[in-house]
Amino acid sequence: MEPIIKVEDLTHIYPTGQVVAVKDISLEINPGEIVGVIGQNGSGKTTLVKHFIGLLKPTSGKVIVNGKDTAPLRVQQIAANVGYVYQNPNHQLFARTVREELAFGPRNLDLPEDEVNARVEQAVEFFHLEELLELHPYRISFPLRKLVGMASVYTMRPAVFILDEPTTGQDNITTQTVYRLIKKLRDEGSTVLCVAHDMILLAEVVDRMLVLRDGDLIMDATPREVFSDYEIMSSTHLTPPQITTLSLRLNGKFGAFDAAVLSIDEMVSEVQKFSNK
Amino acid sequence: MQGVVIPISMVPGDSIIHRINPLPKLAWAFGVLVISFATRNPLILSTLFVVGVILILVAQVGNAYLKVAMILFPISLTLIVLQSIAPAFPKPWTPIVSVGPFTIFQEGIYSGISMLLRIFAMTTWAMLMIMTSHPSDIFTSLQKIGMPYVLNFILTMTLQLLPILQNEFAVVLNAQKSRAMKGSGFGAILPSMVPVFVGAIERVQQLSISLESRAFGSSGHKTSYRRVRMTFWDILLIVLGIVFTAGMTYWIIVDKSLDWSETMVFHPAFAIGLVVFATLGFLAFVVIALRNVLQA
Repeated sequence: MEPIIKVEDLTHIYPTGQVVAVKDISLEINPGEIVGVIGQNGSGKTTLVKHFIGLLKPTSGKVIVNGKDTAPLRVQQIAANVGYVYQNPNHQLFARTVREELAFGPRNLDLPEDEVNARVEQAVEFFHLEELLELHPYRISFPLRKLVGMASVYTMRPAVFILDEPTTGQDNITTQTVYRLIKKLRDEGSTVLCVAHDMILLAEVVDRMLVLRDGDLIMDATPREVFSDYEIMSSTHLTPPQITTLSLRLNGKFGAFDAAVLSIDEMVSEVQKFSNK
Repeated sequence: MQGVVIPISMVPGDSIIHRINPLPKLAWAFGVLVISFATRNPLILSTLFVVGVILILVAQVGNAYLKVAMILFPISLTLIVLQSIAPAFPKPWTPIVSVGPFTIFQEGIYSGISMLLRIFAMTTWAMLMIMTSHPSDIFTSLQKIGMPYVLNFILTMTLQLLPILQNEFAVVLNAQKSRAMKGSGFGAILPSMVPVFVGAIERVQQLSISLESRAFGSSGHKTSYRRVRMTFWDILLIVLGIVFTAGMTYWIIVDKSLDWSETMVFHPAFAIGLVVFATLGFLAFVVIALRNVLQA
């Protein structure tokens, strides 16, 4: 299968100062993969994913999206295939009403007006934005603003969906919406990249994790492998979900399970298996 | 996006001018401002300008100054065009040459040239002051001589708002691009302006809340992290600045022969050439600036 994103020896140095934000990263992401990007603040996560939509261009190396080198392309051209949900919704929203915000993207894709409206309606239903449609995006609460940001990209149905810290600052209900979104995108066959500090979210939804530390890609593996690697986890100051830590401890003490456990459901079935032994 | 930013801020350095206390620099910049407004004499104005440029070179901030001057010069050229056909001068005006419905006046050319020189004399000295002094040093110094804290704060915030607005503009443009914004050109830029200003107002609101929640306006003496010292030389410079400004102003008021508006006669070819150059210069600037903004 042709990878949808291919990164070759990517290095990015910001023009202000000599900070090397990402160093010599190579990786491939296949269509339909759900990938988590983790690392401390300042480790280069956002810098890396901004290359996939062309908001940043490599200082050296290559980024190939959908078979095309991003270097000569403009953001507008890449954006038809790649959707980027900003970490800070204030950096993403600009229209005067939520409805205009949701329609901005699909209109730019030259879709017929009834298709645009249909997509807006679907997004409104999915994200429960009915009450907000005629409000100014700046007048609604931060978590909802973030959902509007996701909805505004969702209406474009991009092949690659990049979420930058979608659950930060969210309450339980809006977090559930993020879970639903990622699962829906998976069912629709989209590729999803999710930058997050929320390990519980990642443990549940991603197939693969990229671990960054000081601009280096230090691990590229399944969440189970990453969370089980004590050295990687402590060197990046990341903590696995409590349920995973518990399973690792129990394994250390009693050799209870075959591998690290990622969710409560998994724990229940593992405990059942263990008690049957 | 870096291309759109206009760099009017301190250029770090260790030149002799950087080491002078901000107050004498402020006094001289203000003095030049007073003199520039007191006279239209091209010789005085261009001398002030040239001395300012020499000091800019001494301070080694030439590059940053040039960037600002490149923007300021074509814009000020409009003064020549406007003044030449409608001088800010008491009538009667002496016509030099008529082109279609427009008449170029002797007083207009004189006034245009002196206004251009005036702008450059003032801004050069002001740039010299801003580019060689740390902003908080300027405000600490002003506070020391009794400028009210609130007024001082308003000034600081105003200076800070410009880069914030520029940044905000880049952010909104990026957001629109990343949702496949159609088209390019000025029409595409305009819609970003609304959110920029909404965002700016939002920011000011937030600022006022966070200011009040941190006891802004409570009375008491305020201290500053950065300390500024006044040496004997700084005081001497201030005194010289005041004496120079007062002396020049006195001379300008008393000596009527400094008004060259009658004696400096422009050849029609020169007048036309100047106006054409000014028009083309300004138009070229607009075209280049638009292209730069659109490409960014």
